[in-house]
Amino acid sequence: MALPPPDPQFVLRGTSAAVHTLHFSCGGPEPDIPLLFSGSENGFVHVWNLRTRRVDTALDGHGRKSVCCVKTMGGKDRLLSQGRDQRICLWDLAEGRTSVTDSLCTEHVGFCRCSLLQVAQGRWLMAMAARSLEEVQILELPSKTSVCTLKPEVGAKLGMPMCLKLWQPSCGSQPVLLAGYEDGSVVLWNVSMGKALSRLSCHQEPVMSLDFDSEKAKGISGSSEKVLSIWSLNEQQNLQVYKTHELINAGISDITIRPDKKILATAGWDHRIRIFGWKKLKPLAVLDYHTAAAHCVSFSDHSSPRDRLLAAGSRDQRISVWAIYAQT
Amino acid sequence: MHSAYGDIILSLYQPSTLPLLGFAVSLLLTLAEQEKAKQIKISALECLQVLVLQCDCQEHRHLDEDEAQQCGDLFASFLPGISITLSRVIAGDIKQGHKATVSAIRLFYLIVGLVMADKQLARIPKSKEKLLVEHSKISELMIHRGPDWTKSTAEKLSLLLHKVVESSSVHPHWKVRLELVELVHHLLRNCSQSLVDSFSHLLKALVGLVNDENSEVQSRCNKVLQGIAEQRIVAQSRALADVLSENLHSLATALPRLMNSQDDMGKVSTLSLLLGYLKLLGPKINIVLNSVSHLQRLSKALVQVLELDVTDVKIVEARRSGPPGPLQQGVQKGRCQKKYFRFFTEEKVFQLLQQVCRVLGYYGNLYLLVDHFMGLYSESGLYRKQAAMILNELLMGAAGVGVDFLQEREVPPSMDDLKRSITSILDEYMDQTNWYLVTSIDTEEGSPEQSVQHLGLAVRAGGTSSSALHLSPEPPVTARTMNSNIWQICIQLEGVGCFAAVLGKEFRLLLLSALYPVLEKAGDRTLLISETALGTLADMCEACGYSSVQCLINENSDYLVNGISLNLRQLACQPRASQVLDTMLRHSDASLLPLIEDVIQDVLSALDQTYSSQASTFLRVLHSVMTALVQWFGMPSTEEHQQRQTDKGQSRAQSQGQQEVTLTSQEVERFFLDYISQKKIAEGDLPDLEEEEEADEVPLAKPEPNSDMEGEAPMPSHAQLAKDVMERCIHLLSDGSLRVRLKVLDVLELCVTMLHPHGNHLLPMAHRVWPALVTRLVNDDPLAVLRAFKVLCTLGQTCGDFLRQRFSKDVLPKLTSSLLSQAPVSARAGPVYSHTLAFKLQLAVLQGLGSLCEKLDMGESDLNKVAEACLIYLSAKQPVKLQEAAQSVFLHLMQVDPDSMWLLLSEECCPPWEPPHASLQPVNLSGMGRPRNELTDNVLLLLQRLQQQEGTAPSSSTQQAAPS
Repeated sequence: MALPPPDPQFVLRGTSAAVHTLHFSCGGPEPDIPLLFSGSENGFVHVWNLRTRRVDTALDGHGRKSVCCVKTMGGKDRLLSQGRDQRICLWDLAEGRTSVTDSLCTEHVGFCRCSLLQVAQGRWLMAMAARSLEEVQILELPSKTSVCTLKPEVGAKLGMPMCLKLWQPSCGSQPVLLAGYEDGSVVLWNVSMGKALSRLSCHQEPVMSLDFDSEKAKGISGSSEKVLSIWSLNEQQNLQVYKTHELINAGISDITIRPDKKILATAGWDHRIRIFGWKKLKPLAVLDYHTAAAHCVSFSDHSSPRDRLLAAGSRDQRISVWAIYAQT
Repeated sequence: MHSAYGDIILSLYQPSTLPLLGFAVSLLLTLAEQEKAKQIKISALECLQVLVLQCDCQEHRHLDEDEAQQCGDLFASFLPGISITLSRVIAGDIKQGHKATVSAIRLFYLIVGLVMADKQLARIPKSKEKLLVEHSKISELMIHRGPDWTKSTAEKLSLLLHKVVESSSVHPHWKVRLELVELVHHLLRNCSQSLVDSFSHLLKALVGLVNDENSEVQSRCNKVLQGIAEQRIVAQSRALADVLSENLHSLATALPRLMNSQDDMGKVSTLSLLLGYLKLLGPKINIVLNSVSHLQRLSKALVQVLELDVTDVKIVEARRSGPPGPLQQGVQKGRCQKKYFRFFTEEKVFQLLQQVCRVLGYYGNLYLLVDHFMGLYSESGLYRKQAAMILNELLMGAAGVGVDFLQEREVPPSMDDLKRSITSILDEYMDQTNWYLVTSIDTEEGSPEQSVQHLGLAVRAGGTSSSALHLSPEPPVTARTMNSNIWQICIQLEGVGCFAAVLGKEFRLLLLSALYPVLEKAGDRTLLISETALGTLADMCEACGYSSVQCLINENSDYLVNGISLNLRQLACQPRASQVLDTMLRHSDASLLPLIEDVIQDVLSALDQTYSSQASTFLRVLHSVMTALVQWFGMPSTEEHQQRQTDKGQSRAQSQGQQEVTLTSQEVERFFLDYISQKKIAEGDLPDLEEEEEADEVPLAKPEPNSDMEGEAPMPSHAQLAKDVMERCIHLLSDGSLRVRLKVLDVLELCVTMLHPHGNHLLPMAHRVWPALVTRLVNDDPLAVLRAFKVLCTLGQTCGDFLRQRFSKDVLPKLTSSLLSQAPVSARAGPVYSHTLAFKLQLAVLQGLGSLCEKLDMGESDLNKVAEACLIYLSAKQPVKLQEAAQSVFLHLMQVDPDSMWLLLSEECCPPWEPPHASLQPVNLSGMGRPRNELTDNVLLLLQRLQQQEGTAPSSSTQQAAPS
């Protein structure tokens, strides 16, 4: 008999607004306190101390507009946050500072989260949806110089980009971007050439979230419908549908593959977190705790696998933290 | 001899004079032993003392080393004789007087100390010196103090010392015992190597004397011990440590037996012996602990000795009476609960054991000890309590709290080490299987709880590997096991308190996991547990630097909320989680609300899923939730409301009064203005009135879409909660169990109070509640009727005329008829009647009915009905209380309709009445001239009041009018 699903290890309360994004920073050596960053609808980025389970600091940089994406750059002292106020802020958090060092304007009105990729020590590429509706812009950080703008062909009718994933194939050093669009298709872009390599229509509805495993050259995407779609990338840089998985309830707002590529988690509109084995997409667990739609899931980057955590943020203003499948 | 100085005296102690000296010595010894006269005996001993150059007086020049050596050589020949004789003297008849014994002891240790001094022995050359030939005879008498000799002498001395120690350590005179201490001191200082074998006796004596009844002996003894420890005699000498650990081992082995057989005094001395050994060993304790057999013996002994007496049934029976009082500062700091042990009753014994553990913790290797005792803890349920107790003390000791020690330890354990140990112990203590034990088999709530507990374990077990263990059929729960469980929980709670004290502010981090379980226990129904938990809370407060328990709970409410919310998800833990929420609510303020809002929602949804089984548990929580809300968000508008009500009443009284009394023009004007505004209101045409007014009146008038829209303004969250709770109450009102129904009615009343300012939401709810409430009022247990009536009164206060129609139709007939039917019963009843339920019901109805009628603004016919029913209760035959209540009904009714009341009352009885003016016709009332009957007194009283009431209003208005 299958074991009953566990309870959350603990629940973080106190954001007093729906939680839209989560990001762990737990990789530091021992004396470092493991942190969890959360971005919520009221424009605050909360820094949670996972040892005391309390908010260490609350960063207010998006004028009370929803924060949709939080990422650390390198250590836990540099933070990037993207808000619905069309700004991306870079924070300096070292030694207790809480200042915005730099910010840039996306001029994009959608929900699309930006994607960050470290290309060299102290250099990052960032993909974000640009001002004109269908375009994606690639910038270099921290210099903020534009690398290229990815425009779909005329008449492609992709709609707005909904989700982005920058990655770097292990062999070639050319960064590649996967973008999910409003019309339900996923497009693979070659960033340096600025041209679309492949396009795959895998959903009927807008693609809400996607994640990609560069080792297996496989990716997964979820949309507002009941289907998870897994696709693979072949040698010729072509995307093709590998498999689909039917869900009971519609609507996936976030998908994350654990860094070790063994399991993945989805955040559903049906309030539930689902865990799948990544290899065969075997359903492993349904975590039922939240009382409103789950918005985001995130796996921690603990250096020892035993400590690994999964966090989920929801519209019910709570962040549930789970210790699940930590051993495997 | 005394007068001999310097070198002269030395010449006496040449080997050549040996025979002479020998003669003197033996003479004196014989005297000392056999002489009957005390004085002579003592003089002989003193003389001998002088002879061996150990005189007490200070005038002599101190012997230098060589000379001492020489004397030592010389006296070695006499040692056997002297020591044997002296030991005989010491062990001799007590009648010889203590002085003789004392001086014998002194002489004994002086001579032994001289001859066997380590310093001298170390200087003895390997081979015997060649003496001059002419002294050959004498030289045979001389003794060479080589290693062989030393060894054999030490053996013999050890026997003697044993004898000496044995006899004098129990000597009734304290000076003898004091001298014994000196003996040990002297020998330990001078002969620690040569007499190593005797030390086990000597130390035993010394340590044993620490607890002598004579304070002088005690303090000297302590000083000596201190001195020993300070000089690190033990620490430096491996041999001594061995001796001590050997002693310890044998003592530990014998301990359980001794504790079983000795009387309290014996136990005390045995234990102080044990403690003394440990203290003497000091940092060397680890040598002992590292040996498995030693540690085993010691721990087993401690565990066995500390066995608790668990036969007392009272502990299981003692229940917390009523709801837990507020946990304010008053909670005395976590003093340990008095425990009852199987093997001893003396408090002193326990203190000694405590010290033993603490000293162990102080010097010993913390990890080793904690590990070992944790092993015992989990090994068997038999040891669990004791092991926990020992662990608590160990950690106290390790932190250096309340330890008496002889020497500082070299390295105190770091905070980190302490924290790590404590965390692991806490984990073990608060493990599901160790923390949630069966402590009661209450018929009322316990049994479901218990079965649930089984379930919970099973559920839990599913997740853990050791599932089979818990699923095994439980042995039947006896009072003994419950008592034992209670103690275990208490000890663990005390442990938590100790750990908090040990870690101080560092404990704040552990509050994360520790606060919730402790608070859970604070709400336990077993008196002992809840008291202990309260003490623990106080300890935690102090340790973590919070000023009060309330502060502690407030500051850490996020941790608690987390625990509650997670526990609510498990059926088994629900009752406990709700208990914690309960406690938390009671000790918090409004600032908590945003945090607990979602938890309360969790409670509600949990309730939704388990209406049947858990209703009563959750209702308790809902009750406390609502109480807290009412308290936090008390109704600012209440006063306003009442103000308004009285205004209304007054204006009405005035307007009514105007018809009879002469009016001023202003009053007429006011009357008409009032009338117009009333009329407007009645037509639903409201100018900008305050919200609540609107709420009261609007639904009666034809619903206007506009006002509805305005009513949609978001409700504050507390009101929303109240509404949600009320929703649940509707379902539960018709629950099968009376207890639940009563509770629901209570909660309902609070909900109504809470929703009072939000009429737009209250009224629809009231509408939905009504049918169920009526059933409660009309046909239910009298208790329920009583409560329901209270709810009705509250509802009447807030909903006013919304209820008028329903009340007069659904409830009033029943109420009046029951009043009427009960009246003869109560009129006939004796004094005991006032304790019956029926009486209480009557009283409540009578007390509430008046104001209810007033609030609801009842129509005339209904008022008459009420008045009729109450009239009988004005009878002097009724119990006084009922009479008073009935009077109050009439007083209220007079506010509503004075005229008809006057008429009614006057018809019963009335004083002769003169028309106020000659032009008016005299009136004939049926009550006039009636013979005095049972009603007369009360009716007259009421009429008088009526007169006053009607009299004051006009008179005041005339006064007001006068200046104008």
